[in-house]
Amino acid sequence: MTTYFIRRFLLIIPTFIGVTILVFTLTRLVPGGPIERMLNEAAMAGAEGTTSMSTDYAGRGGSTLSDEQMQVLREYYGFDKPIIVSYGEWLSRVVVLDLGTSTRYTEPVWDIIRSRLPISIFYGVTTLILTYGICIPLGIVKAIKHKTVFDNVSSALVFLGYAIPNYVVGIGLLTVFAANLEWFPLSGFVSDDFEQRSTLGKVADIFHHATLPLIAYVAGSFAFTTMLMKNSLMDNLAADYVRTAIAKGLHFRSAIFRHALRNSLIPIATSFGNNLSLIITGSFLIEKIFNIDGFGLLGFESLVERDYPVVMGILVISSLLFVIGNILSDICVAVVDPRVKFGADGSNQ
Amino acid sequence: MLDPQTIKQWKRFKSIKRGYWSFVILMVLLGLSLVAELFVNSRALIVSFEGKWHFPTYAGVIPGETFGLDYDYETNYRELKQQFKDANEGNWVLMPLVPYNAFENDLRTDRFPPYPPSLETQHYLGTDSTGRDIVARLMYGFRIAMGFALVLLVCSYAAGILVGCAMGYWGGAFDLLFQRLIEIWNTIPFLYVIMIVASVVVPSFWTLVTVMVIFGWTAMTWNMRTSTYKEKAREYVDAARALGAGHSRVIGVHILPNTISVIVTFIPFSIASGVASLTALDFLGFGLPPPTPSWGELLSQGTNNLESGWIVGSVVLAIVAVLLMVTYIGEAIREAFDPKKFTYYE
Repeated sequence: MTTYFIRRFLLIIPTFIGVTILVFTLTRLVPGGPIERMLNEAAMAGAEGTTSMSTDYAGRGGSTLSDEQMQVLREYYGFDKPIIVSYGEWLSRVVVLDLGTSTRYTEPVWDIIRSRLPISIFYGVTTLILTYGICIPLGIVKAIKHKTVFDNVSSALVFLGYAIPNYVVGIGLLTVFAANLEWFPLSGFVSDDFEQRSTLGKVADIFHHATLPLIAYVAGSFAFTTMLMKNSLMDNLAADYVRTAIAKGLHFRSAIFRHALRNSLIPIATSFGNNLSLIITGSFLIEKIFNIDGFGLLGFESLVERDYPVVMGILVISSLLFVIGNILSDICVAVVDPRVKFGADGSNQ
Repeated sequence: MLDPQTIKQWKRFKSIKRGYWSFVILMVLLGLSLVAELFVNSRALIVSFEGKWHFPTYAGVIPGETFGLDYDYETNYRELKQQFKDANEGNWVLMPLVPYNAFENDLRTDRFPPYPPSLETQHYLGTDSTGRDIVARLMYGFRIAMGFALVLLVCSYAAGILVGCAMGYWGGAFDLLFQRLIEIWNTIPFLYVIMIVASVVVPSFWTLVTVMVIFGWTAMTWNMRTSTYKEKAREYVDAARALGAGHSRVIGVHILPNTISVIVTFIPFSIASGVASLTALDFLGFGLPPPTPSWGELLSQGTNNLESGWIVGSVVLAIVAVLLMVTYIGEAIREAFDPKKFTYYE
């Protein structure tokens, strides 16, 4: 099994190269890169009113810059070399953890990403705690009270959360509780007077801002985990070993908590590793709606602004987290369930 | 097709009331949206002018001169109705339930849009921030979103079933190659790619479908691979091969029908995700170009005009209702194909 996981870790490399080369090529093939954007801005600043909203090609910017200057710019951004060469250069810098410099902020990409991380990690970890903290007990109660009023009512709610995309939940919450009832602030991570508040006030302020986005985040993952917990516990309750335990006179309660629950947590473990990428990358739609300056919004904005070094930097981090998360899930399963033998046949991926 | 098993599954599906009625309602809505021009349209259903009846709904443009008006562009039927009423010469106009189409800006001189819902102006859900009727935008947006989701479904399932079957059936190097490819494909944040593409070409319906299929075929492929893999190991496949059936016959006649339950079970969820992703793209401004009626565009208008609660209210309710029904259907189908009978303790 160790060899299996070593193989999985080694397979990260081709996957990583595949993903980055695809997106790298795409950003190169697409017109309207950072140079064109800068030229546009220069043209707009120079002659206010001549609106050049369309994607200007580099050639058309020749009026403001000479060919030599264009050449210097292209060299500066590395656009003068073939795609594969500049990809190689980019990759060799990534290997030594240098993600390059943002074309928009002219700051190192890693610094920009790092400055957004605390917010994303706060939301990710809180969502994770809330999701598992609510879903597992709720799933257990639903399984025990199968087909009662409580089960049906909570099922209806769970379904609602499952059916609606989480950003729509966010918009709905924003409209009702922030815009109309004004219970919560409309956007942002903290208030303007955050620095002047006491420690307790700061915490209260963060959660005051975080309540609605957190509900939106949790609503999405909530349904899946709850139903998974419920169904797997019901499967186990129907299994022979629980029947035997009860027939031998064991209390129903201890039959659940001592025997059935442990086994039914296994399916939950299969998706645990994927939380790794959720913690950091989150949902940029929710971040956009609530105007939270997190990792997702950074990715979205840098895409819109054609800040490709940042886009690639985010891609590096998110794809690595995604792949490692998958492997982590498998490790979780192997740890929780000693019966699982990975690598016995090729079908276990 | 109608073997006893299918009939049994259909009966089981019908017995799940929530899912069955969602199915009925959604089908009726879909049917209505196909002939939405008859309910929500700025063109009249019937115009009776000097004893002659005109049916402008599906015909070409009827210039105003036809009805004795002084212009040669398309007749404004709402005004015509009022004129006929005032003149009282026996001419009449029958307008659809909602007398607006999804594109016209019904502006008023006294104030700026968005206008709140009003029975008097027949904007039953109000107008958006450029004065377009919300019912009309929702109705035609629904038609486009569902059409989009269905086309996407057919295309990505076709690719998924083809590749997935081949992977599961032949295995080996082909399987390994595509496994790697799918892993790479799944790791690419595909909304990013769509945004890069959409920022270059203004996406049309078909470019969006193409891009989404290119990045969305993997889910079905993976499912089909697993179930083909399982089916292939069973004896009936060996038996068919022993009787001399070729590969294509074994796959097409024997394996595929046995994996149909996997395919059918996933359909509603794929539709829901198709609608949701189109809405998300439109919301961000990377979807279908304006002025295409779209739910996502209404959502973003609504979030920018939160004080006009009727915009965001109606579109959020519409999304919730449709996606909830689709999910209920999905759950009922899953239950019908794979009934789980639990033993449980009272």
